[in-house]
Parts: sequence; structure tokens; C-alpha cells
Amino acid sequence: MEQKIRVLNQQVSATRKGFRNQIKNLWWRKGKEDALDTPIGPVYTFNSIESQIRTLGDYAFMLRDYELALSNYHLISTDYKLDKAWKHYAGVQEMMGLTQFMLDQSRKEAEYCMENAFNTYLKLGSAGQQNAIRCGLWWVEMLKTRDQIKEAATVYFRLCGEDPLHSAVMLEQASFCYLLSKPPMLHKYGFHLVLSGDHYKKCDQIKHAIRTYRSAISVYKEATWSLIKDHVHFHIGQWYAFLGMYDVAVTHMLKVLASSHQSKTMQELFLSDFLQIVQKTGKTFEVLKLQLPVINISSLKVIFEDYRTNASAAAASVRESVWRSLEEDMIPSLSTARSNWLDLQSKLVPKKYKESNICVAGEAIKVDIEFKNPLQIPISISSVSLICELSANPEEMNSDANSSNIELQNDENKTSTSTGDLNSSLILSEVDFSLEGGETNLVQLTITPRVEGILKIVGVKWKLSSSVVGFNNFESNSVNKRVAKGRRKAKHSPSNDLKFIVIKSLPKLEGFIHSLPEKTYVGDLRHLVLELSNQSKFPVKNLKMKISNPRFLNAGNQRELNVDFPACLEKKMNVEQSGGHANVNKMLQNVFHFPEDISVQEETSLCWPLWFHAAVPGNISLYITIYYEMKDESSIMKYRTLRMHYNLQVLPSLDVSFELSPYPSRLQEFLLRMDIVNKTSSECFQVHQLSSVGQQWEISLLQPVDSILPSQSLFAGQALSCFFMLKDRRRLSTSEDRIPSLSLQSDIRLGPQDNSEALFDVSCSPLADFHDCERSYQGMSLQGYEYKVDFVFITQLLNGSIDSGAPNTPLLFSHHACHCSLSSTSPISWLVDGPRTIQHNFSASLCEVNLKMTINNSSDAVASVHINTFDSPSSQSIDATASQSGLPSENQAGWCDIPVVNDMKIIRTDALAMRFAKSVSLDGVSQFIWSGSSSTKLLLQPRSTAEIPLQICVFAPGIYDLSNYVLNWNLIPISDEENQGIVNKSSGVCQGYSYYLTVLEST
Amino acid sequence: MTTTACFIIVSRNDIPIYEAEVGSAGKKEDAAQLHQFILHAALDIVQDIAWTTSAMFLKAIDRFNDLVVSVNDDGIKSFFQEVHELYIKILLNPLYLPGSRITSSHFDAKVRALARKYL
Repeated sequence: MEQKIRVLNQQVSATRKGFRNQIKNLWWRKGKEDALDTPIGPVYTFNSIESQIRTLGDYAFMLRDYELALSNYHLISTDYKLDKAWKHYAGVQEMMGLTQFMLDQSRKEAEYCMENAFNTYLKLGSAGQQNAIRCGLWWVEMLKTRDQIKEAATVYFRLCGEDPLHSAVMLEQASFCYLLSKPPMLHKYGFHLVLSGDHYKKCDQIKHAIRTYRSAISVYKEATWSLIKDHVHFHIGQWYAFLGMYDVAVTHMLKVLASSHQSKTMQELFLSDFLQIVQKTGKTFEVLKLQLPVINISSLKVIFEDYRTNASAAAASVRESVWRSLEEDMIPSLSTARSNWLDLQSKLVPKKYKESNICVAGEAIKVDIEFKNPLQIPISISSVSLICELSANPEEMNSDANSSNIELQNDENKTSTSTGDLNSSLILSEVDFSLEGGETNLVQLTITPRVEGILKIVGVKWKLSSSVVGFNNFESNSVNKRVAKGRRKAKHSPSNDLKFIVIKSLPKLEGFIHSLPEKTYVGDLRHLVLELSNQSKFPVKNLKMKISNPRFLNAGNQRELNVDFPACLEKKMNVEQSGGHANVNKMLQNVFHFPEDISVQEETSLCWPLWFHAAVPGNISLYITIYYEMKDESSIMKYRTLRMHYNLQVLPSLDVSFELSPYPSRLQEFLLRMDIVNKTSSECFQVHQLSSVGQQWEISLLQPVDSILPSQSLFAGQALSCFFMLKDRRRLSTSEDRIPSLSLQSDIRLGPQDNSEALFDVSCSPLADFHDCERSYQGMSLQGYEYKVDFVFITQLLNGSIDSGAPNTPLLFSHHACHCSLSSTSPISWLVDGPRTIQHNFSASLCEVNLKMTINNSSDAVASVHINTFDSPSSQSIDATASQSGLPSENQAGWCDIPVVNDMKIIRTDALAMRFAKSVSLDGVSQFIWSGSSSTKLLLQPRSTAEIPLQICVFAPGIYDLSNYVLNWNLIPISDEENQGIVNKSSGVCQGYSYYLTVLEST
Repeated sequence: MTTTACFIIVSRNDIPIYEAEVGSAGKKEDAAQLHQFILHAALDIVQDIAWTTSAMFLKAIDRFNDLVVSVNDDGIKSFFQEVHELYIKILLNPLYLPGSRITSSHFDAKVRALARKYL
């Protein structure tokens, strides 16, 4: 071999070494170019000098004379390049790379050569493919040896060709390179594994594909790159299914099922593939914590009934505190009650269950759970039911060994429920529903224990698309659990919330209010019937009822049950007045006691009348709670409560306001103006009557109703003003003869006068009851009663469209206006009396006019009154006093007049007086002066009248307004302590009324 | 020219906190996960470069076939700057837990608007 090298070396150096040869070579090469060209480059015969050189290089390489080899390869490579003999060139380059690698001198050179060779092979197309791969592999090995593993990986990647299997292997190798590189490039590792898996799949090497994907999972396990995860799991699942390994396939498919971020088509694909796989397994799959649908554990709400029972679902959703405050004074005090049944309970129940909830056998426990479909496609859920364990009391069965037994029995129950076997110890409800994309469904599941023992709600199970059974245990994520109703104490562990002690069945009342409207107008007065039915076999007794809003709902008397409404309200002669007062007592107590002898016997029902009155507009929640006791003394619970909850919408109907102003000329009479606006959009009300409450007022019409309102009905949007005269009979009675109370006309018919319909009696139940409620709401004090007057305005709605369920009889509406104040806020009223027109000869003397002021003290205290007169030049003082009196509620005293929040508007006469004062001061000049005393002070005894003479001097003829005086009054408090707080105003300032005097020049 | 770009904000521990497919080309189903794969793989390179340079814009990072992970043109650069400001605004939100997914629709709309402007 060495000999051969020597020979070849001689030949080569003869032809190519030396400057001359090189020049010649260059020149000569150009010449022969076109002669030997073939499609794949020039063909070199073995004897050609190029082949000789190449052989020399190879020999040298083989003998590890790398220097020589390299120099030869150098020599030849330029030749090949010039000849465009690319294949040869690449081969030489490849060898050069290897040689340089062996020499280990210049890494860059070696790499450059390899890359050059590789690229050149690739340029050759399919012909160079295999060479390229070989070259690449050399290159990779080279890099690996040099610990340039990362670069090796990129080379592997470049090696990928069209053949998928080849590419797959290369990519897998590349991924290993990334894994081995320092630091390990895990992301790339995963990526290339997945790529390689894809290629394996393309050439049906599914097992390999799964292998690569599975190793990729380890990379993506931690990450939250959702699409990547889905892709990997889905494909593994698919491929396993392809191989027939369905169990594994399912576990992978499960992970992509609830991928809400995917597009709709992908979700459909996932779901259908999953279901297909499950079907292929040929059995119903049971999956713990199936993610489809998603269960919102925080929505878990357990509704059960111990001594508190609910009439409807609405009542159960009301906050416990509302009920507590309502039941506060009704149920026996907590400590005694607790000790009563705790004593009993401790006998029945071991200590560790002491804090469990109590439920009654035969009564359903309701569990609300929210199911959410995370996907955009509909899914169907069937047979949703609770998983429960019912075990006997541990005292009777003392070990856990039995519990499995029970569970077995329980399983039987589950199956038997569908067949409707009522003898099983548990009844579970099953719900089927389907969820649209993104839909959330609140499902109520019930469980009814039928025997005593300890019940534990373990979880929920459901069937997805009738093939996969999903379970979810509530206990497993008990951290977030919140049990509704707030009835457990904080120290309870959450697991106890789902544990119940089932006690012997008890009577339970069910309650319903018939024909309670859902929507009505303000003022609606109705007669309702409350029906309490007892389905159990035991009677109950000692019924009590409390209503949250007595303004709206009141209990009636038993004899009112079948009365004819509204005829029962009509005024009868010889009616006894006691009824109303008895009811006031009842109302103040707040708790309605049913008569002692009333009890609800087994399997019967009790009806009781209720009165309903829509007092104010708005959305009203009515809470009613009914307390009852068991007749059976041996039961654990002594009493139970029934809670009812109703929501109703009250729309505004009539806006009624009253305005009272004193009659200018008479002391005890008042002008009453009533403004009514029909605020509804379509209803037509028929006015019926106006009544004043109490015995001391007399109302009469100023003009017949027919002239104001010929049709007697108020159409939608119509407004109406009526004027009445109001007489204070009580005050008159002090001085005049006492008039028999029966003849007092405190009601006025506003309807057709020829109608024989009786007026309604506002002084008997229920109108009086509701009126008392209104009184207490519209103004707080019952005291000072005599200064205020209350009105009840009654209308009828003949054919209302608001409540279709209502009976066809006309609806009755009553509007209550309370505490309409008389004349002014002051207890002092006065009247200036004197001539109205005077003729006087001014040329003779100035004119003196004598006037008389009558002052009335209507309060119970002695009043000191101070009359100040002033002439208009001192208008300053008018303003001052005017502004003073304009202050609301004259805050000298601690009492403050709260403006009535209701619709009823009472315009203060104060304000009117002020307006007059202003207009006077505008006039500026007055031509009279007050003569006589400019200031008078007097003491007025309670409920007395005094007369004061006044005098003015007039200097010129004209019309004078004698309002420029001020009454300062001061109530002297009575020494009685109990009355101390009653006096609603202790002092005040009143502007004078205008009194016009006409003075004429006499001839 | 129809270009499509996948823009992902990645927080610590390689957790993506915001993802958006922007660009004029119609959305392709298979492209979505491919983009994620590529960007995920590119994190390796970013981790390497992060130790060697202090520059915030890391020029060309990685490429796979014709898909490039890079900040090599001015449009992307200014887009990144603007998005960075938006991101800071998100961070200023006291209710936003740093490192959690950005769910603000406002942010999303803004980013897409910026993408239309610059890319």
C-alpha cells in the first residue's frame, strides 16, 4: 500500500505539483470542459489524474497520514469544483471534513466541509439523497464526539427527508440530542418527540408513535399549554383505541373532554371519539370525577327540614336571619328548647353525631347542585342522582362491618327506586336533562329517608350520553363547600353538613294562601284564605302566626272565614264598636295566636281568613311563619315552624293628597282639598267614599260630586280635585250641646248619589286594623291625636286587568292618609274680626277702626301669646320673622316634624302665610298704623278662647291689608312628667293673616 | 400578503398567561397547536439567550420550516413595546394576580388592535 502511495504521489506531483503544472492545469481544464460533460457532471475514468489523486488521498487517509490526504483532497476538490462534478466534489468535501476531524485542528474547517458536502449532496436531488444521509450521520457523530450535541440535533433535524419513517427516526434522535445537551432543552425534546410521533403515525408505526408521545407527556405534564396537552392526549387516546387498548385510551381521552378553549368542531370530535371508544369497550364506564359536565361545588346547597319547615322553595331560599328575627318571640326560648331535645337526642345519638343535622323520616332532603357544560356543544345528562349511605344508629349496629352491608342494601335501593318500590329505606330522585353549549343548569335532587338512622350524602353520579357514569364525591373537595341556610355553627366540620340523623316521622303542616295576587295596585283590599293542612297521622296544636308586614297582611277572625266581601265591610246600624279595639291589641302583640281550641287534626286542613291590603307600591316580600306544637309528647321535637314566603308586586294606583286650610272666617271649620291622580296606565277607578277616622269630624261636600265628576270614575291619567268642609265636632261640643255621635257624618259618598249601596265602615276590622298600621307607619306619635285628622279614601275597580286570577267581583281599594295636620302646625289659631268696609270723612279727622282678635288655644297646656304689631317702615322685621317662621319645624324644641314620605302631600299653611307676608312687603307703603298697644301679652288657659281688642288708624282712603302683625306663642309645659314629651311644639311664631279693609272717603 | 402570527405571553415556569392568534390569514385548526408547539420549543432558546444578553428584543430566536420566532422587524418591535405597556397596566390592577391568566377582554381587544396596526 505504501508502495502504491509512493507511485501515485510521483504521478501526481509530476502532473500537478509545482507552479507550472498548476497554470497548465488551469488552462487545460478550461479547454476540455464541454467535451466530457454529462448530466451528472463529468465522468472520470480510473486512469484520469483526478481519480489518481483521489485514490492517493484515500490511501493516505487509510494509513492515517491525514496531512497528505488533506493536501490531496484540497488539490482535487478545486478541480472537481471547476469541472462542476458536484457528486465528486461533495465526496471529497466529506472526506476533507473527516480528515480535518481526525486531525482535530480546526473544528470550523471540518464543519464547513461537512456542511458543504451535505448541501452539495442535497443539491443533487434524489441521487445524492443516500450520500447526504451518510454524510449527515458522519457529521452528527462528529459533533457528538465534540460534545456539540445541540448542533448535532439541528443536523438530525436537517436530515429529515421525504420518507416518513426515516424522518421519524431522525427526529427522535434529534429529540434525544436535545435531552442530552447541557443544559437539557426539554421544550425542544418534547417538540421533536411529537414531530417524530407524527411521522411514525404516518408510516403506521403506531406503537412507536405512542411511545414517543408518551415520553413527550412528561414534558408537557407540568405546563398549562392547553392546546398542546389536548393534542397529545387526544392522539394517544386515538392511537390506543386503534390498537384496541380501550381502557388506556379512555383515560387519555378523559383529559381532553372538558377542554372549553377548543373550537366547536374540535370539541365535537373529542366527544364523539370518546363516546366511540367507550362504546367499543362494551361496558358502562364508571369514572370518578368526570369533568363533563363540571359540577360547581360551591353551588351545593342542602335544604332540609328539622323543626323549621318551608311551605315553598321560595321560603327556603330566604336568609335564615330573616326567619330568626321573625320567629324570635314566638318559639320557646332557645335554652329550654335545646335542653329538651338535646336530652333526648343524647340518649339516641352518640356524641360524635351530636352536631349533625336532624331530618325527619319521610321528608325529603333537597340538594341543589349546579351543572355546567364547559363545551360549546350540547351534551345530554341522564339519571342524575345522589349517592347516599343510610346506616342504622351505631348503638344498634356497633361496627363498620355493617356499613358495607348497608351499602350493599343501598345499591339495591338505587336500582329499586326505578321500579318504584316504596318499601326501600331510601328514595332517590333521578333527573335527566341536556345542557346546551356553555349552559348552566341548577338541578334539585331529593332524597327521602324512610327509616331512622344516620344518613350521609356522599356524592352525586350521573350518566353522560347514556354511556359513561360519572361520580363526584362531595367530601373530596370539602374545602370550598358551603351549605346554605347558615344554620350550622362555624365549628362544624363541613363533613357534618352532609350527615343527618334521621328521626321518627313527625307531623308537618303545609300552608298555602289562596288567591294571593302576584301583582296588584296600591290600596287593594282583599279577603284571603290561609289553608293549613296536616298530612301526617298526628294532630298539632297551639298554633301561632306572625306576619312580617302587618301593613299588608292581617289575620282575621274565624267568623270572617266565609263572609261576603266586600259586603261585610258595609256599615250596619247598631254595630258595636268594640271589634276594632280588640284588634288593635292583637296587632300590637305582633303574634297572632290562634284560639286555644283550634288544632289541626290528622289528615285534615284548617282554613283561616286573612286580610290583605297593598299599602305601598314596590316589590314586597311577605314572610309568614306559623308555629305549632305536636300533640304527641314523646317525639324528639316538641314544635315546628312553617315558613311561607310570598313576593308581590304593587303598582302605584291613585295618588291621593289632602290639604287642609282653616276657614278664614270660622274657627272650627276647615277647607279640605283632595287631589287625586290616577297613575295607572289603563285602569279606571270608581270613586266610592271618603271617610274621616274618629268620631269628632264631620265632612260635607262643598259642591255635588256630579258637577266635578259626572261619570264617578277616574280614567287613567286623570286628575281630580274635590273640596270638602270639615267641622271639628269635638271642639264645638265643649261649648255647644253635645250632638249624638250617631248623627255625625264622618263619611261621604262620592259615588252615584242615587245608589243604594251602603257606605263602608272604616271603624271596624279590617279597615280599622290597616288604618292603625298606616297610622303607625306614616307618623310615629299616637299623641297629639286631636290636632291631626286621618282620612280613608275608598275606590273600586270594576274590571281590572291586573290580576287575571282575581275573582270577577269589583276590587276594593282603600287609601289611607294619616296625620293631615289642621290649620297650622301651631296649637294657636286666631281670627281677626271687624268691619270690612268703612266710610269716613278724612277731612274731619283720621279714621280709627276697632278690630277684634279671637285667639284659640287648642292644646292641653297653658299658652302665653304675645301679639306684636308693626308698621311697614320696619319691614326689616317682617323679613326677619318671615324667614324665621319659614324654617321647617321650628327647631326650638327637640321634636322634629318628619315630613310624610307618603304620597300624601300636606302643604303647610305656614308657607302660605309667608307668601302673603312677602307680597305685603313688596307694596312698601302703608298708610295706616296700629294704634293702641303695639304689643299685647296674654295667657291662655288650655282649650280656651280669648278676645283682644285691636285698633288701627287710617290716614287716607284705600284698601289695606292688615297682616303685618306677628303672634309669638309659647306653651308653658305642664308639670306632669308623663306629658312632658307629648307637647309637640313648645313655641312658635305666626305671621298674621291677610285681612282686607276698605276705607272710603265719605262725602 | 397573508401572514398569521401567534402571540403568547409566557410567565414564569413557562405558564402561558395570554394567547392570541393574530394576523390576516384565516384560522386553521391544526395551525393553532403547531404554533403553540413551536413557541413552546422556542422557550429553550430564549432561556439560553437570556443569560447571554441584556437586550430585551431577542432578534431571531428560532425557526421551524417557514415559521419564525423572532423580533426582527420594526413592526413587531413596536408591537411588543405597546403590548408591554398594556401588560404593565394589567399588572397595576390590584385584582390581577401576577402570573395568572389575563382574562381582561379590554386587553385582548387592545392587543388585537395593535396587531392590526403593526403586523
